Amino acid sequence: MSDAANQLLIDIRQVTKSYFSGSVETQVLHGIDLAVPRGDFLAVMGQSGSGKSTLMNIFGCLDQATGGSYFLNGVDTLTLSRNELATIRNRTIGFVFQSFNLIKRMSVAENVALPLIYAGVSRAKAHAKALVELERVGLKEMAKRTPNQLSGGQQQRVAIARALVGDPPLILADEPTGNLDTQTSEEIMRSFQQLNQERGITILLVTHEPDIAAYSKRLMRLKDGRVLYDGPAAEGLQQLAMSH
Amino acid sequence: MLANRLRTLLTMLGIIIGITSVVLLLAVGDSMKRFIGKELEQLGTNMLFISPGGDRAQQQRMRSGAQPAMTIRDAEALNQLPSLAGAAPVLQGGFNLAVGNENASKTVHGVTPAMFKIRGWKIDKGSAFSDADVRSSARMVVIGRKVADQFFYKQDPLGKYIRIESVSFQVVGVLYGEGKQVDGGDLSEYVIVPITAAAANLVKTAFPGNVHYVVAQGKSGGNLQDAILDIGETLRDRHHIKIDQPDDFRIDNLASFAETAQKISAGIAALLALIGAISLIVGGIGIMNIMLVSVTERTREIGIRMAIGAKPRDVLLQFLTEAVVICLVGGIFGIVLATGAAAGITASGKFDVFITLQAVVVACGFSSLVGVFFGFYPARRASKLLPVDCLRYE
Repeated sequence: MSDAANQLLIDIRQVTKSYFSGSVETQVLHGIDLAVPRGDFLAVMGQSGSGKSTLMNIFGCLDQATGGSYFLNGVDTLTLSRNELATIRNRTIGFVFQSFNLIKRMSVAENVALPLIYAGVSRAKAHAKALVELERVGLKEMAKRTPNQLSGGQQQRVAIARALVGDPPLILADEPTGNLDTQTSEEIMRSFQQLNQERGITILLVTHEPDIAAYSKRLMRLKDGRVLYDGPAAEGLQQLAMSH
Repeated sequence: MLANRLRTLLTMLGIIIGITSVVLLLAVGDSMKRFIGKELEQLGTNMLFISPGGDRAQQQRMRSGAQPAMTIRDAEALNQLPSLAGAAPVLQGGFNLAVGNENASKTVHGVTPAMFKIRGWKIDKGSAFSDADVRSSARMVVIGRKVADQFFYKQDPLGKYIRIESVSFQVVGVLYGEGKQVDGGDLSEYVIVPITAAAANLVKTAFPGNVHYVVAQGKSGGNLQDAILDIGETLRDRHHIKIDQPDDFRIDNLASFAETAQKISAGIAALLALIGAISLIVGGIGIMNIMLVSVTERTREIGIRMAIGAKPRDVLLQFLTEAVVICLVGGIFGIVLATGAAAGITASGKFDVFITLQAVVVACGFSSLVGVFFGFYPARRASKLLPVDCLRYE
């Protein structure tokens, strides 16, 4: 049991999440169970209101579950302080957002280097590592520009470089292709596939597009805060197509 | 960005004004001290000013019908005291001087020759009047260099006549030098006549022989306190003051003048300190306000930073640093402004003001302190934000 648990990167049990507005309680997640081993590539699908964003925020330690347990990389995240959560986000997770979320006042290289700065790495070292990651995504020559001078696809690749700069075992991508055209989306998804296959990075992807989910190995569908399907991606997508 | 720069600059104004005041306050205080020190050195520290009327005594004696007074005879008696290098009476007033069509209003000093020695007045041309001239109320005048230039431009003034309030006085000497004197006048603008001639022709006094005040000089190397005691004893004796009665005169020395000057400069300093403190508080509140706005505007950035690993402390430090930098830049502007103002004051010639390194260090320290104090609350607020809320913020 403990060996198996150690193999798991994400292990959540009976996770619930409620919001309170005044005395009215709205339950968004109704006891989610999920075990993600290292090297998995999981797509989370669901309509808006299904709770997938809430779940993603809990995965990313940006938000905390109301009930249940969440072990990330063997650590019980529900007992951690804000500082410890910040360290986990810094070392264990790389974020890729729909709206890229680069800091506009800073250069591309500075954006990519920022996680290392927060990790306490010297500026020179962080900058050098940022350039290595930028080269991997083919944007080394853009290092001195600001994000506004880049196309959407380029900005998302910068965001991926930033997510990877600290060598985290997990990438959380929240609708990463939501603001991109089809061709660019395919490029981005192929680079995620590559990261998963070549560097063994575990990827958790939130999307509402079946085409995008198709790049994953495994699919989880959520509806009204409950798991509707959890299994191989191909099968799940077929089921989804038939239900329409 | 440009709008932000303007906004930041406007926010800085309070800090700029505050720091300008603080720097000027330190500079003025320092320069005032130096100025007073220099003046004292120039005038000599062993000068005593004896004027009629003690503090409360004057009123008391006036009620009993007696006029407090200092007389020429008092001055002569004091002049004989062994503990004094000399004593001389003064009658002074502002009068109209005329030569031909040229006329001007000047302060005229009626004195005795002893005064030349006490005040260190040197004669450039001609000579001072003598004790005999004083006894005969000779209408003679010694004038400062500027007065000579004004009335006798490029001519030898010696032997010529100046009409003072329509009475002719013959010029017998021209004073050497120039510069501010203890009474605020300039040496080169002095007009000096025998005190008896002033009493006879210019200054009206209640009784003949009355003088405005007496200037005495302690013996160099002697004890000034002993001299003051001697003067008091002599005058009480001469004025027939009973043992239980207070003095009808007062003795001031330059130390007490310096004290007055110090009080004035302390007053100026207090005013500047008040302006500085108020500006710094108002400026600090402005900084706090702008930092709160900045935190709100950059909520999403805070969320991004937290998502990629910024700890609450990192966010706190970022905003605190920003507040301190704004204040420090404001402080530097303030120092520059104060330097300009100091140069302006110096150029006006009244007074030399220097910005000291100490003032600059204190100013930088103060502005940083304001930044930390008023930046802390907004920075703390930023650090308390939850990443999930920040990322949702549009």
